[in-house]
Amino acid sequence: MKTKEFLKTTAKILVIEDDSSISELICMNLEAAGYKTVAIMDGTVAEAYLREPEREEIALALVDVMLPGKDGFSLMEDLQKEEIPVIYLTAKDDVVSKVHGLKAGAEDYIVKPFEVLELLVRMEKVLKRTGRARTKIQVKDVVIDLKEHSVTKGGKKVSLKPMEYELLVTLAGSKNVAFSREELLNRIWGCDYMGETRTVDVHIGQLRKKLDFHDVIRTISKTGYRLEDLEE
Amino acid sequence: MKLWKKLSMVTVTILSAATLLSGAAVIYRSMEYNRSKTIESGEGQLKSTAYAIGKDLESGILQGYSGVTKNSYLNFIMKKYDASKYILIEDNLVVCNLTPFELANPADERWAETEICSVIQNKGDRYILISGKKVPVAGNVEYKLVFVQDISELYGDMRKQVCYSLWFVLGASAVSVLIIFLLTRRILRPLRELQKAAKEISEGNLTRRADVRTRDEIGTMAAAFNRMAERIEEQVTELSQVAEKRRQMLGSLTHELKTPMTSIIGYSDTLLNVNLKKEQQERALGHIYKECRRLERLSSKLMSLMGLYDNESICPEETSMQELFDQVVSLEEYHLKQKKISLISSCAMGSRRIDRDLFESLLVNLIDNGIKASDEGGVIFLTGQDNVITVRDEGCGIPADEIKRVTEAFYMVDKARSRKEGGCGLGLALCSMIAELHGAKLAIESEVGRGTSVSVIF
Repeated sequence: MKTKEFLKTTAKILVIEDDSSISELICMNLEAAGYKTVAIMDGTVAEAYLREPEREEIALALVDVMLPGKDGFSLMEDLQKEEIPVIYLTAKDDVVSKVHGLKAGAEDYIVKPFEVLELLVRMEKVLKRTGRARTKIQVKDVVIDLKEHSVTKGGKKVSLKPMEYELLVTLAGSKNVAFSREELLNRIWGCDYMGETRTVDVHIGQLRKKLDFHDVIRTISKTGYRLEDLEE
Repeated sequence: MKLWKKLSMVTVTILSAATLLSGAAVIYRSMEYNRSKTIESGEGQLKSTAYAIGKDLESGILQGYSGVTKNSYLNFIMKKYDASKYILIEDNLVVCNLTPFELANPADERWAETEICSVIQNKGDRYILISGKKVPVAGNVEYKLVFVQDISELYGDMRKQVCYSLWFVLGASAVSVLIIFLLTRRILRPLRELQKAAKEISEGNLTRRADVRTRDEIGTMAAAFNRMAERIEEQVTELSQVAEKRRQMLGSLTHELKTPMTSIIGYSDTLLNVNLKKEQQERALGHIYKECRRLERLSSKLMSLMGLYDNESICPEETSMQELFDQVVSLEEYHLKQKKISLISSCAMGSRRIDRDLFESLLVNLIDNGIKASDEGGVIFLTGQDNVITVRDEGCGIPADEIKRVTEAFYMVDKARSRKEGGCGLGLALCSMIAELHGAKLAIESEVGRGTSVSVIF
């Protein structure tokens, strides 16, 4: 693998999807979650884009299988040449095409319709697996260094308990996306943790206090919590 | 019982009966003939011997002979004429008998006649021919000559002949039975082939045909059978093609439903859970609205298509085509204005018996397609002449290899463009269905970049 520096706070995601509203939907969510996106709606255009020498670094490609011009499976070669991991995104939920896609070298396969959170989580996993995960996440004046496991606010180190840190990373990793208390419990404490959802509330309270995130970490009624940070 | 067995049995029975009867008749006739021949020859001998003896006795030589001399003389004469076969009777007394037989009644009147009287006597297993005649001699003494011959041999021969004939008949019957069996089997073999073919076809091998090339009734039947099988195969293929088309249509339908659903679910999920900027929220809502409208259009088109499929009844009424054209033009006015496209309509048709609503929908669909294909400022021509209505545009056109498929439900030449224009791939399917219900045909001519013309030909 080429040594590429992904020490950026945002990764660029290539979205190859022919349906404009689905494409916009994906881009909208990825951007809200802190990624940058490039949307392409045609297979041949995507091929041409990948061959551009001056193009920006792409961390991951979300590819629809059924595309005009050149279909998603045929694009695999071009994407692999550029060492871009691929997640297929398609309405075709039959096993055969799933196996075909994965055999061709796709990292994952998501069937439409999908949930935003599911898409983000799977993307994050693929990015981590391929060594392209972000090393730093910035929320307002707070910087989370994922390598050092440290958090600084306005340059000053903030000391967090391990669970508080995990909770912050989870919320900031998919910022602007709401997590339910159960979801947070499952992901941070593990699904066999017998604790109550109150535990989450307590840790959220600690985070808000330590980072002065009273307005940033919002309680979403009936759902859970969301870390809000919109780039203007 | 198998037909070939039945046929052979009947034939064999009749044949054997006929052979036996005719054989019996022939044998009987030949027996009769042999017997009468034997009797005839015996009678011939008797006649000549009686005549000769008569001559010998005529000379009256016996007059005055003593009894012994007379007997010796008579013996002598008899010996001269092969005495072992004759008995001479003089006045009802046997005077000379050198045969191994004894005459039961020498006085029998049957032998006193000049005409020969013949009798066949059956003694145990022996048959004896006895013929008697008066010896023609003058004088007061009456001589009778009796010819006796053992003809058992004749009967033995006849019995043997009957035996032989019986064997021959049986042998011939056996051989003919065999031949008849084989022949009937052979003749009826095509029937078995036919039966096999029918069985295989019923088991699902529809391409099977009966291989029968005889020119008899079975051959004709096999030909008819093959024709039937062909028709069945055609129909089954047709049915499975229809089923396949339905399946594909259902597949396309699912896909067509899934795409807007993905958008709707995705955007509402996003609106519920994700912190969006104000303008993004509005865009998301706009998308949800747009996709719902798409679903609504899809469902209404689908409903009308299903309606056409289900009840193939239309309500034709005498409709003025000019009025119909005007109506369609006014319906399309808004669409046309939006894209700044002009529609040039000319109608040189009188009135026709058509379902007005369906035809209106057909023309609106065709013009909508024209609008979708045309760029801003384009022109669409709607012309009606003789029995052809044509909608022509100067838009993007359809690639030659896709023209055939555009009337399939959910088939879209350019999906992205069609989506953008709000198409769902059912318009032409609907049009061709409506045309079909009116006994008309849809003819599509197109050239990429030059435009498309769709004609409804009555």
